[in-house]
Amino acid sequence: MNLKSRVVSIIVGAMLFAGASAADAAAASAPAAAGPPASAAAPAAAPPETPAATSGATTSDFKTLDQEVQGVKKDIIELNKDLFVLEEELLFPANTQVAVYVSMDVGTFFALDSVTVKIDNKEVKNYLYTAREADALLKGGVQQIYLGNLKVGKHELVAFFTGKGPMDRDYRRGATINFRKGVGAKYLELKITDKVLKHQPEFTIKDWE
Amino acid sequence: MRKALLLGSLILSTAWTASSPAAAPTMVGKDAPDFVLRTLAGTNLRLSEFRGQVVLLNFWARWAGDSRQEMPVLDKINTTYERAGLVVLGVSVDEDLRRAREFADAMKVSYPIMFDTGGSNIGRDYLLEKMPMTILVDRSGVVRYSHVGFRAGDDRIYLEKIRELLRE
Repeated sequence: MNLKSRVVSIIVGAMLFAGASAADAAAASAPAAAGPPASAAAPAAAPPETPAATSGATTSDFKTLDQEVQGVKKDIIELNKDLFVLEEELLFPANTQVAVYVSMDVGTFFALDSVTVKIDNKEVKNYLYTAREADALLKGGVQQIYLGNLKVGKHELVAFFTGKGPMDRDYRRGATINFRKGVGAKYLELKITDKVLKHQPEFTIKDWE
Repeated sequence: MRKALLLGSLILSTAWTASSPAAAPTMVGKDAPDFVLRTLAGTNLRLSEFRGQVVLLNFWARWAGDSRQEMPVLDKINTTYERAGLVVLGVSVDEDLRRAREFADAMKVSYPIMFDTGGSNIGRDYLLEKMPMTILVDRSGVVRYSHVGFRAGDDRIYLEKIRELLRE
């Protein structure tokens, strides 16, 4: 289903729902608005309705409405997802897109505080990590720290990692990579790992070609 | 005579505007913009990590006289309502970081104090014009109340709003 037809179906679903709600509200308020004289005349005027038939029709109406509402909600979520993907494709098309990720495989030698990313000597991101975020990285999470656009050609990325190193000392290290941006999207990973032999953390940048 | 009356009314209206609390910025009803800042203790705190709790955000500056009166009051509120799910966060917008830290140290409050060193858009995001400014954020991350300045008795309004949000 394309975007346009999905939007149309959502609007139609919402109108159906609104119409059904208005009809229910009108039916509920009509007896109250009429008052005692109308209620006295009602038995003579209106044909008798069996309670079972009325409740059955109402229950099935509610079920249908509920299903429609759930359907509309599902469509809205799908639409939101599509819009997000479209937005990313529009703002960061594959031919100029560059994405930088951070991953951590360390626990002993380094407590991450912040990462600064510079591309071609221009700071593009400075990210402060909370304890919870650092913990998420330690548990295997990978963070997309930067998403941007670059022209085709040679570029340089420099990343600075700040935190607490061995013996709780302030630690600041950098890592550099020179890479070539081609026609497709470029993915770079900033990796923080333990170098057990040296009792030091190691900072590397991987180019996912 | 007419000129004197006009001048008098102009002076009176200016005085009235100056004495009454400034109209709150229109953040109320909007999602509180997320930010992450470093605290006095050296850790980093992100606003969105407090989703699910009621947050009182107090933007202050060393040079704003009202901040000196307000911070001890907020400290008391923090002590009383912390266990009920209230989080109080102080954000310094002072440009002079060293003096702001000295001031915060001297105030000795029990809640986290964060420092905006100019790298964030917090001033623009929260429409900060006058200091101090206090904002209440509900459990869903929506700004529900905003107050500029501080005078004796304003804490009663804070408490009323805090209790209302904690009950939700």
